Amino acid sequence: MKRSTKVIIGVVIAAVLVCALALTYKFFGPSAKAGSKTYTLEVVDDNGKTTTYEGSTDAAYLKEVMDELAENEDFSYEGTDSDYGIMINTINGVTADYNENNAYWAIYVNGEYGQYGADTQPVSDGDEFQFVYESAE
Amino acid sequence: MVALLEAGKWALQPIPNVEVVTLLFIVFTASFGIRTIFVSFAFTALETFWWGINTWNIMYLYIWPLLILYVYFTRNKGGLWFYSISSCIFGLFFGALCSIPYLFIGGPHMMFTWWVAGIPYDILHGISNFAVCLVLYKPLVYACTRIRKIRR
Repeated sequence: MKRSTKVIIGVVIAAVLVCALALTYKFFGPSAKAGSKTYTLEVVDDNGKTTTYEGSTDAAYLKEVMDELAENEDFSYEGTDSDYGIMINTINGVTADYNENNAYWAIYVNGEYGQYGADTQPVSDGDEFQFVYESAE
Repeated sequence: MVALLEAGKWALQPIPNVEVVTLLFIVFTASFGIRTIFVSFAFTALETFWWGINTWNIMYLYIWPLLILYVYFTRNKGGLWFYSISSCIFGLFFGALCSIPYLFIGGPHMMFTWWVAGIPYDILHGISNFAVCLVLYKPLVYACTRIRKIRR
């Protein structure tokens, strides 16, 4: 087989794999339901103090809920874009610095450790979200 | 080699899903052989020292050696296009490889959802690996060959 044919086959295989992965994400990835949804969002800070926010939203993803709260409530957050989506560094002025003390903001969804970042975590009616300041130490 | 890996990693840190670590491991293995596996362990140790212990430390312990073994066993037929396509596929399945520890932490469901959630980033990773390898493979192999000759 010619070298150029092998290269073309290789590139085609890679392209097919990209399509297969995109389809896998489309069918099995996080999906959000549109419409009015109620939610509860709790922030547990470094002193264990809990602040609770309740509301309803049309947001598809948690980050949009956070943006709405930041606009309308006494809630603020800061994050940085990483390879796997937004990484929340600061909530309500409390910064979790992993480099300094192995601390991070953990996301819990309906009592279970979240599988997604804030920008890919879908919002469903009645969801209970928690941001908990945790330390790996 | 570890210094180059670290410098490359830090230099591209601000650009998500674009990295040269994969390419450097490919070039190092193609040029210096299986010894590169020890470099990968040193790299993981340095990263652990810098960032602390987490799940990704376990991932690094098998992901980079796996890549090195692949390059080592294919080095005779490997070349620019072969490794560009290989590094693309490696990037596409980087998340799948990284998800293996989650099989033991939370079972197959956790492993699957964790992998699927990261697919968009894996696609970017694969495409950027392909482009980076296509552009930098030859100059880096040339530089490594020169270093090898000088050392002799």
